[in-house]
Amino acid sequence: MSDYGVLLQQVVNGLSLGAMYALLALGFTLVYGILELINFAHFNVFMVSSFVGMWALELLGISGQGRVLTGLALAGALLFAFAVTMLAAGVLGVAIERLSLRPLRGVRGTAAMITTIGVSYILFNVILLTVGAGSQNYPNPLPVVRWQLGEVTLELRELLIWAVALVLMLALHLFVSRTRLGKAMRATAQDAEAARMMGVDVDRVIVAAFFLGSALAGAAALIFGLYYNYTSFIVGYTAGLRAFTAAVLGGIGSIPGAMLGGLLIGLIETLGGQLIAVRWTDVIIFSILVLVLVFVPTGLLGRATPTKS
Amino acid sequence: MSSIISTLPRLWTRRLLTRIPVHLRTRCGVSLITAAALLFPLINANDADIDAAANALAFAALALGLNIVVGFAGLLDLGYAAFFAIGAYAYGIASSWQVQPEWSSFWEPFRWLDLVARYHLPTGDVVHFQVSFWLMLPIAAVIAAFFGVLFGAPTLRLKGDYLAIVTLGFGEIVPIVARNTPSITNGAMGLNGVAAPQLFGYDFGVNATPYYYVGVALVAFLILTSLRLKDSRIGRAWMAIREDETAAAAMGVDRIRFKLLAFAIGAAFAGATGTFYVAKLQTATPEMFMFPVSVMVLVMIVFGGIGSVWGVVVGALSLQVLQSWFLEDLSGWLHSLGRLVHIDWLQHVELASSIELIFGLILVFMMLFRREGLMPATRRTAALTLDEQTAQAGRGGFDRLPALAAANPRAAGPLLEISDLTVRFGGLVALRSVELNVPAGTVVAVIGPNGSGKSTLFNAVTGLVAPDRGNILFSGEAIARSRPHAVLERGIARTFQNIRLFPNLTVLENVMIGMHARLDTGAVGALLRLPANRREEATAREQALAILSLFGNRLLPRADHLAASLSYANRRRTEIARALASQPKVLLLDEPTAGMNPAETLELADQIQSLNRHGLTILLIEHKLDVVAMLAEKVVVLDHGEKIAEGSPAAVRRDEEVIRAYLGRSAACA
Repeated sequence: MSDYGVLLQQVVNGLSLGAMYALLALGFTLVYGILELINFAHFNVFMVSSFVGMWALELLGISGQGRVLTGLALAGALLFAFAVTMLAAGVLGVAIERLSLRPLRGVRGTAAMITTIGVSYILFNVILLTVGAGSQNYPNPLPVVRWQLGEVTLELRELLIWAVALVLMLALHLFVSRTRLGKAMRATAQDAEAARMMGVDVDRVIVAAFFLGSALAGAAALIFGLYYNYTSFIVGYTAGLRAFTAAVLGGIGSIPGAMLGGLLIGLIETLGGQLIAVRWTDVIIFSILVLVLVFVPTGLLGRATPTKS
Repeated sequence: MSSIISTLPRLWTRRLLTRIPVHLRTRCGVSLITAAALLFPLINANDADIDAAANALAFAALALGLNIVVGFAGLLDLGYAAFFAIGAYAYGIASSWQVQPEWSSFWEPFRWLDLVARYHLPTGDVVHFQVSFWLMLPIAAVIAAFFGVLFGAPTLRLKGDYLAIVTLGFGEIVPIVARNTPSITNGAMGLNGVAAPQLFGYDFGVNATPYYYVGVALVAFLILTSLRLKDSRIGRAWMAIREDETAAAAMGVDRIRFKLLAFAIGAAFAGATGTFYVAKLQTATPEMFMFPVSVMVLVMIVFGGIGSVWGVVVGALSLQVLQSWFLEDLSGWLHSLGRLVHIDWLQHVELASSIELIFGLILVFMMLFRREGLMPATRRTAALTLDEQTAQAGRGGFDRLPALAAANPRAAGPLLEISDLTVRFGGLVALRSVELNVPAGTVVAVIGPNGSGKSTLFNAVTGLVAPDRGNILFSGEAIARSRPHAVLERGIARTFQNIRLFPNLTVLENVMIGMHARLDTGAVGALLRLPANRREEATAREQALAILSLFGNRLLPRADHLAASLSYANRRRTEIARALASQPKVLLLDEPTAGMNPAETLELADQIQSLNRHGLTILLIEHKLDVVAMLAEKVVVLDHGEKIAEGSPAAVRRDEEVIRAYLGRSAACA
C-alpha cells in the first residue's frame, strides 16, 4: 500500500473515531452550555455505558466475535443494544444530576465540579471492584464485511458507526431546533435567568441536557466496544479527555462545534499516530487543547467568550 | 488553632478552653503538636509505622501546596501530581546513574562545586551527577514553580474551570513523557539507585526515622509559609480572586500576576515534596504520579477543609492513617466477625482495595453536606450586643478624613476627560461618542433611563470594558484600555451597581483588599515578616478600622463578620469603605443609595458631600433626582448610549430632550 493509501485509510479510521468523540463531546457541550459546568462524571458515564452495552448484547446470547448475525436479526440486536445502552446512560446521567448536582445549584466556586469528579471516581471504582481490572472481550454480532475502494478498505462497522452518528446528530439537531423543550434549552443556554422569567422550567431543561448528553455518551460507548472489541474500567479517561478537547476545539456550548471538533480530533488521533508515533498521541491532542485555549478560546464555532463576566 | 477548638462539641472542655486567651491557646496547641511529632519515633519504634508516617507527611506537604491553589486562589488543579513528579525526577536524575554524558572541560566547574563526579569507564570518562539532596530541595521547588507558571499561563484569560481540564491533561502527559523518554528517566522501569540524603556525613540509607524528621521539618515549614501567606497582602489578594475576580481586579489586584504566583508557589511545594519522596523511596516510576495521586490530594483538602491550613494537614494525615492502618485492621475485624457468624463473604472483604471508592464518596458527601470540611477556614463570630446593633441615621457627613485629605490636594482643571468614547457589544452600541469632563474637586452625576449606558461608561473608565474608540485621560494621561488594577493604582476607585463584595471574607479583610495597591509586601516579605512588613500590616489594619469607624456604629462592630452576613445598606457602605481604602483621587459610585430608605439616603448623601469637601472628586450614577440635585454641580444625561444633555441640575431638569427620554414624547408636548 502506498503512503498515500495509508494516510487515506487513516482518514477513514479517523472519521469513525471522530464520530464517536463527537457523540461524547455533545454531552460535555450540552451541560456546559446550560450550567457552565465541566462535567467530569461524563467520562465514566461513558465507561459504565460500554459495560451496559456489553451486558445487553450478552443478554441476547452474543459473546465474543464468534456469533455473527445478519439481516433483521442483526438490525434487531443492534437496535436493542443501542436502545438499552442509551436509556441506561440517560437515566444514569439524570440520577447524577438529581442526587449530586441539584442540591448544589447556586453554590459558587468549585463545589459542583469537585462533586462531578467524586461521582466519576465512584463509577470508576465500582466497575473496577465489581468487574475487575482486566479488559473485557466485547460481544460483537457484526459480520466482517469489507469493500475495497481503490487503496482504501471500508468495513461494515465503519458504515454502521457513521450511520448511527449521523442519525443521532440529526435527531439532536431536530430536537433542539424544532421542539418546545429544545427551544427552552437554547433559551436557557443564552440566559438562564431570563428563560426562567419567561416561564421556562430550567430544572427540566437541565434534566433534559443530562439525559440527552448521557444517552449520546451511551451510543458512543457501544460504538467504542463494537469498534475496538474490548472495554475496561479505564476507557472513560482517555476517551473523555479527547472528547472534551473536541468540545473545546469546536467551541464549548456549540452543538455543531462539538460535531466538528469530534471529527477533527478523530482525524488528528489517527493521522498523528501514523505520522508521529502512537505513544505521543495523548501529548499531541493535549497540546491542541492548550493551543486552542490560548489562541482561539471560543473554539472554531463558538460564539460567546468563555471568560468570566 | 482556634478553628480546631470551634469544631469540638459544646462540652465543658470547650468552655474551659475558650477561657484561655487566643494567643496562649495557639502557642500551647502548636507546642503540643510539635512535641508529639518529635517524640513519635521514640514512642512507636516500629520502622514500618515510622515509614508510613513519613509518607503521610509527604502527602500533608502536597495537600498544603494544593491548598494554596485550590483553597486560597480558588483555582481547581486536577493534575497536581505532575509537579510532584517533576520534583521527584529532578532529584532522581540529578543524583543517580541514569544520565551520564561524556566528560568534557565544561563539567570542570561543576566538579569543583561537588555537583558532579568524573568516572573512568573503559569507553571513556563520563559525568556522574551527585547533587546534594539539601541543594535539590529548593532547586526542585524552583523547577516545579517554573512548570506551574508554564501550565497555568494558558488558562489565565479563561474562566477558572478551564484550569481543571488543562491541569488534568498536564497531569496525564507528564507521566507519559517520563515513560516515553527512557534515555533520561529509564521509562516505565523507573529510576533506580537514587542517592539517599546525607547530613554531616551520616547517610540516611533506608532507615525511616531520619526521613520522618525531614518530613516533619518540611511540613512545619510549609504550614508556617501557608499561614503567613494567608494572613498577608498576598493571601488577601488570592482570596479576593477566589471570591470575585472582577471585583478583585477593580480593587487593584493584578489577576494574572497573583494567579501565576499561586500556581508557582503551589507547584513549588509539590516539587520539594517530590524530591523528599523520591529520596526516601530511592526510585521513581511514572506510575507513582498518575491521576489517582492528584485525586487523593484533592480529597485530603476537601476532607480537611478547603482553604484551612490546619484542616488540610489533618485531612491528609487522617486519610493516610485510614489507608495505611485502619482499613487493614477493619478488614481483619470483619474477617473475624465473618468466621464467628459463619458468613463467608465477610471473611474475604478487603477494604483496603476500595480506598479509591471511599475517596470518591468522601468528595461527593463533603460537597453535599459539609463543604467547609472538618476544620473550616472561617471562624464563627459572636453575635452583636444590642448596643452594638443600634445605629441612628445621622446627618452632617464624615467629620474627619485625614488619610484622604492628604492624598487629595485640591487641584484645578479637569481630572477626568473622556472624549469620543464608543463601546459596542456585537451589534449594540452601548456608548456612542460620549464626551465628558470631570473637573477636579467636583461632583458630577450621570443620569439616564435604564440601559442608557451609564454602567458601561463606568466599566470603560475602570478598564473592565475595552472601548472600541475614544480616549480617556486621567490627570492628562491616557488610561483607556488600561487593565482594571492599573486604573485603580492611578487613583480611580469604584463601587458596583449590584454590589460586588468578597462574601466569604470579613468586612475588615474586604476593606484591606482595597488597600492592596497602596501596600508593598510581596511573597517573600509575607513569609519573613520583616519589621517593615509588620509595620505596614499594622498600619494598614489601623487605617482600615479608621475607615470603618467613619460609618459610626454600622460597620465597626461588624469588622470581623463575613461580608455575606451584612444587611443590604451595610454592604453598600462596606463597598464605599473598600473603595476609600485605596486612597482614590476619583470615586465612581454606581447607584450608591439604591435600596436605602429616605433617612439612610440623606445620611449617605451627606457623607458623599463631605468626601467631596475633603478634596475627593466624585462621579456618580444615581436615579434619585433629589440626591443628584443636592450633590452634583454638573449633571450629564445619557440616553441610548448618547449624551443628550449636560449642565446644572436645574438646567437639566428643564431640558426637553431629558423630559422626553424619561417620560416619553407626550409628556414633553404637554
